[in-house]
Amino acid sequence: MAGLRRLLLDPFAVPFMARALVVVVLLGILGGVLGVHLLLRRKAFVTEALQHTVFPGVAVAFVAGQSLLVGAEVAAAVSVVLLHVLTRDDRVDTDSALALLVATFFALGVVVVSRSDSFQSSLTALLFGRILAVDARQIAETALLVVAGAGVLVALHKELLLRAFDPAGGAALGYPVRRLDLVLDLVVALAVVAAVRAVGTVLLVAFLVTPAAAARLWCRGVPAMMVGAAALTALCGWLGLAASYQASVHHGLRLAPGALVVVAITAAFLVIAAATRVRAALR
Amino acid sequence: MTAAALVLRGVTAGYGREPAVEDVTGRVEQGGSLALVGPNGAGKSTLIKAVLGLVPLLQGTVEVLGRPPAQARGQVAYVPQAEALDRSFPITALQVVLMGRYRTVGWLRRPGPADKALAAEALERVGLAGRAASRFGTLSGGQRQRVLMARAVAQQARLLLLDEPFTGVDTTSTDVLLEVLDGLRADGVAVVMATHDLSVAHLACGDACLINRRQVAFGPIQEALTAERLRETYGAGAVVLAGGSTIVTA
Repeated sequence: MAGLRRLLLDPFAVPFMARALVVVVLLGILGGVLGVHLLLRRKAFVTEALQHTVFPGVAVAFVAGQSLLVGAEVAAAVSVVLLHVLTRDDRVDTDSALALLVATFFALGVVVVSRSDSFQSSLTALLFGRILAVDARQIAETALLVVAGAGVLVALHKELLLRAFDPAGGAALGYPVRRLDLVLDLVVALAVVAAVRAVGTVLLVAFLVTPAAAARLWCRGVPAMMVGAAALTALCGWLGLAASYQASVHHGLRLAPGALVVVAITAAFLVIAAATRVRAALR
Repeated sequence: MTAAALVLRGVTAGYGREPAVEDVTGRVEQGGSLALVGPNGAGKSTLIKAVLGLVPLLQGTVEVLGRPPAQARGQVAYVPQAEALDRSFPITALQVVLMGRYRTVGWLRRPGPADKALAAEALERVGLAGRAASRFGTLSGGQRQRVLMARAVAQQARLLLLDEPFTGVDTTSTDVLLEVLDGLRADGVAVVMATHDLSVAHLACGDACLINRRQVAFGPIQEALTAERLRETYGAGAVVLAGGSTIVTA
């Protein structure tokens, strides 16, 4: 018992570890609610795209010495609006529009970052985040973004569900389908912004897509899936951070904590997927 | 005198410059029923969407219960093809039916006990009371179509628009659907359905509109769907049987 406690609880007596866990739990909540919506809409790729399009905003803010958060927000909002403008024309499909935006924005970001002296380290921070460097103010900002994003999704739950299940039926009932899409994309942008400093743009997808995909395998009903996904992220965040701490403190092994959390989430997904298969086979 | 459920005057509709359907004129009274008949790509779906106000009119006017379509949406229920919906979607039959109540419930609110009672009643009407908690995707094609019909019933609309409601539907479900449609019509609800199943069109509808990008005929079904017109519309796909009736194989 004492050994287990030392392994799993003691790391979080260290303040920066506790803050890291709080951020992971917060991001897990938004990731769970939003991820399930994205899964139902088969829109995982939009997340993938947006995480790259915030890059130039963050880069410009970094070089200019401004708030990275504001930079990310501006870039995310601009890319979501551009995406909707581009796809208004039925001849431009979403995939092409996204590819175009990603390539352009990412290139812009690289150009800006390469002008900075600390190119390497700043690039790494943007791509993979600095989960152990999170301070109290960042936690407050993240909490605000999570409450706003998840709040919008909960408020529009039934409309978003109808739009995902039966777009023609939703439109026939008079719902503004395009605007509902825009809202969902803006919340994705919000999530990207909330997560970019802690987990970076690359690992973000794991927070949004994988827990929801895992929850779908074992939860019935949409609300249960959302809670399940958030719980899974919290659990994996706990285990991943603890493992990274133990490895670094007791074994001198430096394992990136954010990446370890993502590995834990992916492992959980694989275990759940295997268990689901076995259960189906036994029936 | 009450307004007609649906009045079409010279309706030409579609996206862009090329209209998908041209010059359709006719009316459906309250409690009336119209079959939209025509080959694939004839513009049946476009015409339905024009009535829903979802496809722009290039010419002509649509009037639903005496009003423009955009203002009559609460009065119009749309029943899509069950096949068009994602079977893996994690949603129960009852939850699908409840969607018919969403507009009445309004933004930011959840359906209440009265809405749930109406939804349960609608499910019972299509003979699926026992399947309320079943996942939509686990039901058979015919049962899923019945659930979508129940959703329209729960919406309590005055005009029902159905897109190929009998495609891939077993005979039991077809009978249930026809019975429910009859019941709704007796209550004064008007029914418009796109279909290429002529026998069902004859069973369910008093009037027919034969279209093939433009209107070929509009009127009482026996007069509108003559063997000659069906041949003209479907070409070699129309076959006259020994009994004198015409079937469409295309």
